[in-house]
Amino acid sequence: MRNEAPIFLGLIVGLVVIISNFFRTATLTVVRSELDQWYMIALNFAMLVGFINVSRIHVDKINKKREGWQYSIALFVGVLVFVVVGFAAGSSSAPRFQWLFEATLDPMQSTMFSLLAFYIASAAYRAFRIRTREATVLLVAAAIIMLGSVPIGRMIWSFFPVARSWILSYPNTAGMRGIQVAAVLGGMATALRILLGIERGYLGGI
Amino acid sequence: MGFWEKAQSLDQRWIYLLLVLVIAGILFKPVGLAVEIKKETQAAYDAIDKLPASSIMWLGAEYDAASAPELMPAMMSVMRHALRKDVRIVGGAMWEQGGNMIERAWNNIKAEFPNKKYGEHFVNVGYKPGGGIFLQKMLSSVSDAVLGVDARGTQLSQLPLMGEFKTLKDAKLVFAFLAGDPGTNDWVKHVTDPNKITYVAAATSVSVPGAMVFVQSGQMTGLIAGLSGAAEYEMLIKTPGRATAGMDAQSFTHVLVLLFIILGNIGYVMQKGKKAKA
Repeated sequence: MRNEAPIFLGLIVGLVVIISNFFRTATLTVVRSELDQWYMIALNFAMLVGFINVSRIHVDKINKKREGWQYSIALFVGVLVFVVVGFAAGSSSAPRFQWLFEATLDPMQSTMFSLLAFYIASAAYRAFRIRTREATVLLVAAAIIMLGSVPIGRMIWSFFPVARSWILSYPNTAGMRGIQVAAVLGGMATALRILLGIERGYLGGI
Repeated sequence: MGFWEKAQSLDQRWIYLLLVLVIAGILFKPVGLAVEIKKETQAAYDAIDKLPASSIMWLGAEYDAASAPELMPAMMSVMRHALRKDVRIVGGAMWEQGGNMIERAWNNIKAEFPNKKYGEHFVNVGYKPGGGIFLQKMLSSVSDAVLGVDARGTQLSQLPLMGEFKTLKDAKLVFAFLAGDPGTNDWVKHVTDPNKITYVAAATSVSVPGAMVFVQSGQMTGLIAGLSGAAEYEMLIKTPGRATAGMDAQSFTHVLVLLFIILGNIGYVMQKGKKAKA
């Protein structure tokens, strides 16, 4: 029963959600609305579980003085500051919390993401090699998109923006649609496997 | 060691330095390259421009601080445009930092609109978890979906704008700012396509290929593509800002990266030829 009960529950709830997308009766609508609310509440608790997991890893790192343990302390200090200020301020958009976010997390995260530009430049020089026909096509397309997206491209050759638009509208759309259809089909297959209890990874070893 | 062999093993710090010099140099001494308006950006502009005064627009901030340099200029321009047209804005987010992004954009531009009041012309309901489920709940009741309070903790019943905005279907237009998932798939699948609500978006450059599929199919009316799209929108609303200022630097950086690729491949071919001869 310990193994079967969660699978059976998952099947029932999953079927209710699927059927409520196709048939809109009063009862199904109410039940579906309730399930959506439970889902959003459960997500909040999932964040808490995530935090507990991260804490366990970093507490262990601090206790065993593994490399970079000082950064684990910085992590806990950061979390504590945001939680204390958040509760004291009363909401995530209160001026004090907003200031803390704009003064710390916002610029730090933007900076980390901006480092990608340097890694891309370095990789472009050291790693991007035209070894095959496909790599050549990739390079030509990338060059057209890069130059067609910025003003200097039009100055170099007025056809760059036109070519960019054509590449994005036709070959890219065709490829992306294929990928998205395949992803959805894969998602449906996985969902079916989970609902039928064939896929049990989410049960955590049951 | 020959020249091309030395070039192939160039310390990457020289590449970083060159990049910094080009970007900083152009930012200090801009060239003023002309920005041409793409048709997707024009379509995004037209979608807001033809909204009747007092209509309500939903602003979806589906991005975080990492994408803010690219999407914040677009968000500020869109908000300016909407407020100038007397369109009222309700903002919310499926991403954790989205609510803060909306608040930041509002704080940056509100001084330009002294007669626009929070609660009457603009409300930020902030972030709520759930992605597509959150959107579906808002289709039946915004108040239930956001638990009756906005991002500042104010009861929705105290905000006049929310008296008219009961469900997402009350929005004449959805304008989403996208950096990944949850994003367009959720909006199109759950909200804009089934309910025939006009959907416009601004996306980071890496998200543009995925978003263009929806532009092609007509499910997305317009698209502000990356920082260049934001610069075009600033031109359209005649208020140049950070995006326009960044266009010269982005242009020259793109050229520099392409030069790196070309030089790297020239060196590769030269070395390959040398090895073949040997």
